[in-house]
Amino acid sequence: MSDTVDRSGPAPTGQGFGRILVAVYGLFALAATARSGVQIATKLSEAPLAYLLSAFAGIVYIVATVSLARGDVSSRRLATMAISVELVGVLVVGGASRLFPDSFPHATVWTGFGSGYGFVPLVLPFVGLWWLRHTR
Amino acid sequence: MTGSYATAITVIALLLAVWTLVLVAMNRSPGLSLLAAGSVLEALLVGFLIGGIVQMVGSDHHFARAEFVGYLLACLAIPPMAVVWAREEKSRSGTLVIALAFLLTPVMVLRVQQVWAGPLV
Repeated sequence: MSDTVDRSGPAPTGQGFGRILVAVYGLFALAATARSGVQIATKLSEAPLAYLLSAFAGIVYIVATVSLARGDVSSRRLATMAISVELVGVLVVGGASRLFPDSFPHATVWTGFGSGYGFVPLVLPFVGLWWLRHTR
Repeated sequence: MTGSYATAITVIALLLAVWTLVLVAMNRSPGLSLLAAGSVLEALLVGFLIGGIVQMVGSDHHFARAEFVGYLLACLAIPPMAVVWAREEKSRSGTLVIALAFLLTPVMVLRVQQVWAGPLV
């Protein structure tokens, strides 16, 4: 019974290509939160904006990772929200860091459109939103 | 931290990545032999962590110590996490997750070395 219920909904977002996507999201969740955790614990006063922004990005990545991995109806909604926030975040922070480089001396994951991470942070939200549409 | 031990880890991780990517290309699931070889890498990474901490404690040069240990722990954690996450996925996507973890190991080793060498950014 539960089997048929599971299969009647949208395709799971954590399977097939979704395995890879969730792994990449998980990696960024780990990278952003661990990094900002260390920075906030040791030198928050140096660049509070950058480090709190990193922590925010980390939380967004965690929510995206978990909700993509779960993949039920409410998780899909949550994933769409988190990835939309991520897209806006990387575009706004990326754009701002290009226009006003002096205001961003301390890098975050989204600085320079994620150039410090091979621009993966810029590509990832587009892939994530595409995948949510594709599996709908 | 820049010695032949780190180079050995990098070479072995890259060989494992190539091996796993060949499995992806052939659409084959990873077998026990890959798991055994991965365990060798993991054992080397345990040594990397212990050696790194011993060197750090014995050194008085100034670098980001918390980040250093963080990257060492990440080196160690990423391959097993990838294996656990890939296990439920029987398609080649699961195998590719493992390949990505092996490709990531040299990057993480490089970050360990950069943090060890560099001043704070």
